[in-house]
Amino acid sequence: MSRYTISDNTNCLNTTNSINVRNYFTIPDDRSQLLAWLSPLEPSLRHRDIRERRVNDIGEWLMQTEEFRRWVGPGGEDEGDTSVIFCHGDPGVGKTFIR
Amino acid sequence: MEIRGSVRRLSGNKDYLQRGEGSQSILTRRYDSSLVVDRLCAQANGHNTAVTCFYFDFASRKEQSTTSMLGSLVKQLITGMERIPEEISRAFQEQKKAIGGCGPQLNDLVKMLQTITSLRPTFMCIDALDECVGVQRVRLLDSLKQILERSPATRIFVTGRPHILAEMEKRLPRRLISLPVCPTRSDIIGYLRVRMGEDETLDAMNANLEAEILETIPNNLSEVCVQAIILRTKSHDIR
Repeated sequence: MSRYTISDNTNCLNTTNSINVRNYFTIPDDRSQLLAWLSPLEPSLRHRDIRERRVNDIGEWLMQTEEFRRWVGPGGEDEGDTSVIFCHGDPGVGKTFIR
Repeated sequence: MEIRGSVRRLSGNKDYLQRGEGSQSILTRRYDSSLVVDRLCAQANGHNTAVTCFYFDFASRKEQSTTSMLGSLVKQLITGMERIPEEISRAFQEQKKAIGGCGPQLNDLVKMLQTITSLRPTFMCIDALDECVGVQRVRLLDSLKQILERSPATRIFVTGRPHILAEMEKRLPRRLISLPVCPTRSDIIGYLRVRMGEDETLDAMNANLEAEILETIPNNLSEVCVQAIILRTKSHDIR
């Protein structure tokens, strides 16, 4: 059985999809309503927009830092100590050039 | 004047224009966020790992409440699941009994995320947390803390301006890695080259102006970035 995705929900009248999900806990109509109930926001659209304007290779250095590798790694006994990484930029950098 | 006009045109995208302060930094951070999301997604492909993202925007602060933000994370996590966790489905059915139905409560969303993130390693990438303001940010950080307490394998990537660092350290004690972000010289030059290549006003650009832009902007930005590098060195020393 193919993986059920949100795109399947866009066609709730498609009986094939309904048959495919008959063993799931929710039916397609319910599923799309449930997703809308959870949140009206769609951050994936914003992500897509930013990705299209991104310049290749810029920022790659960040993922080579010891801090990032420690964060993304499997962690050890003190796993909880590396669960959040905060990347912060100093206000004012470059503002001269946008005025 | 000429170089400023060219830069204004080159930087004429939404990320630059939305803010007067620190736009280069914000632009870089925002690109970093999307880059990290894509890299994590590539690594997660074929593995039992989930990646979610959220981009805060001050202009959308009314819509981006803590509940709608956390709800969107739940939504991203269950979208790819064949079966929706019973706890979530039950909460959805129960709310229908309320007057006209009502949105999920913060406590319910935290419990949902605690449950889902316990099922598999989960990355949450949150961009521009400083643009989530007031009590909403307090609620969000406290919610993230509760999620991490139940699901220590969860990893959270956050970008934002440094003024919220102390607040984050307070709300997420002993969990935080601090990493100052500053564009490298090659980042700046690479970005400028691409944007100049996309400039539609060809008559306004010539070889001398292009060389001047590539020389002047990275040099001036680099001076400011020295402060961030010093700050970063200090943060290493403190640890």
